[in-house]
Amino acid sequence: MKGYYGVILEVDLTQGKVEKKELPEEDALKFVGGRGLGTKIVWDHLKKPYIDPLSPENPLIFAAGPFSGYPFPSASRVTVVTKSPMTSPVKPPAKTASTIGYSNMGGFFGPAIRFAGYDAIVITGRASSPVYLVIDGDKVDIRDAGRIWSKKASELEELLPLELKGEGFETCYIGPAGENLVRYAAIIHTVGRAAGRAGVGCVMGSKRLKAIAVRGKKLPPVANHKEYLKILEELRKKFASSPSTARWRRYGTAYALLSSSDRGTQAVKNYREGTFLEIDRIGGVAAEEELWVRDTACYACPLGCKKIGVVRTGRYAGTIAEGPEYETGTMLGANLLVSNLDGLMREIADVDDYGLDQISTGNVIGFLMEAYDKGLIDKAFLDGIDLRWGDVEAVLSMIKKIAYREGVGDIAADGLNPLVEKIGEKTAEFAIQVKGHPLAAWNVHTRLTQGLCYATANRGACHLNGHSARSQDFNAFIDSTGICRFASGIYSREGISKALSAITGEAWTIEDCRKTGERIFNLEKCFNYREGFRREDDEIPERFFTEPLTIGPRKGAVIKRDQFKELLDKYYRERGWDVKTTKPSPAKLRALGLDFIIKGLGD
Amino acid sequence: MEEREGLFVPEFLAKNSLSRREFVKSALIGSGTLAFGGFLVKAEEKQGTGGEKPRYSLVIVDYNKCTGCRTCEAVCSQANERVIIDGEELLGLGNPAEARVKVVSYNFPPVDVPNRCLECPDAPCIEACPVSPDPNTGRKALYRDEKTLAIKNDPERCIGCGNCARACEQKRVGIIKQDKKTGRPTTLCTLCEGDPQCVRYCPYDALTHFTGDGRHFALSPDKIAKRLAELWYYSGNREVGR
Repeated sequence: MKGYYGVILEVDLTQGKVEKKELPEEDALKFVGGRGLGTKIVWDHLKKPYIDPLSPENPLIFAAGPFSGYPFPSASRVTVVTKSPMTSPVKPPAKTASTIGYSNMGGFFGPAIRFAGYDAIVITGRASSPVYLVIDGDKVDIRDAGRIWSKKASELEELLPLELKGEGFETCYIGPAGENLVRYAAIIHTVGRAAGRAGVGCVMGSKRLKAIAVRGKKLPPVANHKEYLKILEELRKKFASSPSTARWRRYGTAYALLSSSDRGTQAVKNYREGTFLEIDRIGGVAAEEELWVRDTACYACPLGCKKIGVVRTGRYAGTIAEGPEYETGTMLGANLLVSNLDGLMREIADVDDYGLDQISTGNVIGFLMEAYDKGLIDKAFLDGIDLRWGDVEAVLSMIKKIAYREGVGDIAADGLNPLVEKIGEKTAEFAIQVKGHPLAAWNVHTRLTQGLCYATANRGACHLNGHSARSQDFNAFIDSTGICRFASGIYSREGISKALSAITGEAWTIEDCRKTGERIFNLEKCFNYREGFRREDDEIPERFFTEPLTIGPRKGAVIKRDQFKELLDKYYRERGWDVKTTKPSPAKLRALGLDFIIKGLGD
Repeated sequence: MEEREGLFVPEFLAKNSLSRREFVKSALIGSGTLAFGGFLVKAEEKQGTGGEKPRYSLVIVDYNKCTGCRTCEAVCSQANERVIIDGEELLGLGNPAEARVKVVSYNFPPVDVPNRCLECPDAPCIEACPVSPDPNTGRKALYRDEKTLAIKNDPERCIGCGNCARACEQKRVGIIKQDKKTGRPTTLCTLCEGDPQCVRYCPYDALTHFTGDGRHFALSPDKIAKRLAELWYYSGNREVGR
């Protein structure tokens, strides 16, 4: 099939072995790339459940998509897929049972994988001492990482070019958090971009792999070159004239800091509220006025949604970071009642620098703040940190403790459930997670479907999952192409299917795209089902049912348990899954071409 | 490196609101020295008096607008590395490895510098070309095209010595690379026969095709990046940037 190399680079760090493996055409057709293909590769590698996600067996996959490398607008995403080190079922059949993990990242790394001549990179094993990987087209080298180990993101950006001694490498790496196996460590690219969620940086750390550098000069031919050129031209025009392009450019996702707060949908005070009364101090308008210096964009992206800011005066002067975005500004701002914009920037900068997930870090610290506020933990528990709502210095201390697993940070680095175990069962009701994965910056009180989105996401709570089965299917498909979600609306579903047809030479319809997404979603689900995840794992925190919002335009909002249960019942039926257990029916799996997973799925 | 310290007065960098036309105009008729696109352009008094043929033509960059997206690389490659399919010449795939423009990215602090041939008026690359001028045209292997004012290489006469690449590296921005097999220069900007596609397709209007007269001083991407970083991130000046 055109548009692919049909080549997967597989690196076994235990044996120091590098192999080029064939990507079966059937897999490319059925799972496309990115999230879908990555999950299929994980499935093929892990032939049984309960394999320890931090063991050498767990593969860490960097999967580009069929759009990657071509200059299609906003199609730079690469998805990192692995078995998650963050999740566990309510009734674990084994200690090491966990979900699939996937996290996607923009920038230039995805295109670089393709320029080097591969559709995906698979890392297995564990190096005996820290290493980094250099992929220079066909030439692949595993090198000693002695000089760069323990370094932070900003330091690596200085050191890696000296190590690599060549132009044009794209790199991604882990910070101290990944090395220290913080469960929610991120993989960072260009300091400000990250595959942040699902603990992918922790898995990379467990392999003692500090960094990957990739470059190359190739690009696979497309099936229908003339059509490809026509679509490129059309898309470029469409993006240039789309009103949403202008909006992304002006504020990026930060526009939502104000609008979400105004609608009561923001995570505020550890999800207790949906509106932050001081949001105008850290929102997009304030950031534009106070901080932003320039916009940056991912490969061939006309949206330019990344805002680089600098703090010029005061205690945090000299801080340079990307943001605040909606997620970072909410999780480390509104959710912690931080309204000091300069301090918020310092938090964002540090979280990136240490290589943590912005979302999980803000969520975990919010949990600790609430426990402290309620007197369930004291200053001694927090190693002397006075972790009060809105205190930037306290947040900064906590971030560092987590990254280096110092004192209380050692437990906090393991995530919410271990903290609940340590502090006490009554804190469970405000541990804002699903399947062990912390919720993101969108609150649930006002919207039943937001609850469904989090509850049914295959990596654990995920704001990008989708609010209905249909949207989840399309989203899973888009995540497999390399196209950015911010841009998929401008493409339109028809536009994406036409472009994919021109690239591959296969006739893709909109329904093919949806069905492929459904296949991918079901494969992920089956992975989880095999690990022991059942209906009781699709539960959202108590807070959203029992503690109505007390401030803002949606004061009093709360979701109803029976309505939520009804919505889930309907959802499972629509999916063709058993309503009691959530097990996908053999008929559904057969219809999706997933016959190979029916056997061995368990009861 | 031919440059004058202290002459880098990036006035236009603070003026985001200028339209492209106004921007070029202000760069030319503004008094004194203005910096743009890694250039220092000294506006000559005779500018605007008309009648004289422009001496050079190039693509200039507004760094405030450049986001480092590399669309310029892709469209440059598409336009300059065409493919023949079923007997028809078409734009290429857009592999950035084949582009003449190369965005040099610095990730921390984030600065992006699109590097390209500056079509220098005094062209140290042409000066370094050892091929004797053709008695009819006066051209060496490396020469300035009269129509587009782009510096071109005649592959028939080029001996692949690499002098041009070395001159560019030592004296200017180091954009000229030698083809590994033939030794010929590979990354000369063609100005796309007078209609640079990078300018046409830059989603951020960061690029401008400028034709005119004057003097300029080329800076390497490293030096430009250093100055931009100083200006944007360390000067404490709130008026700079977007």
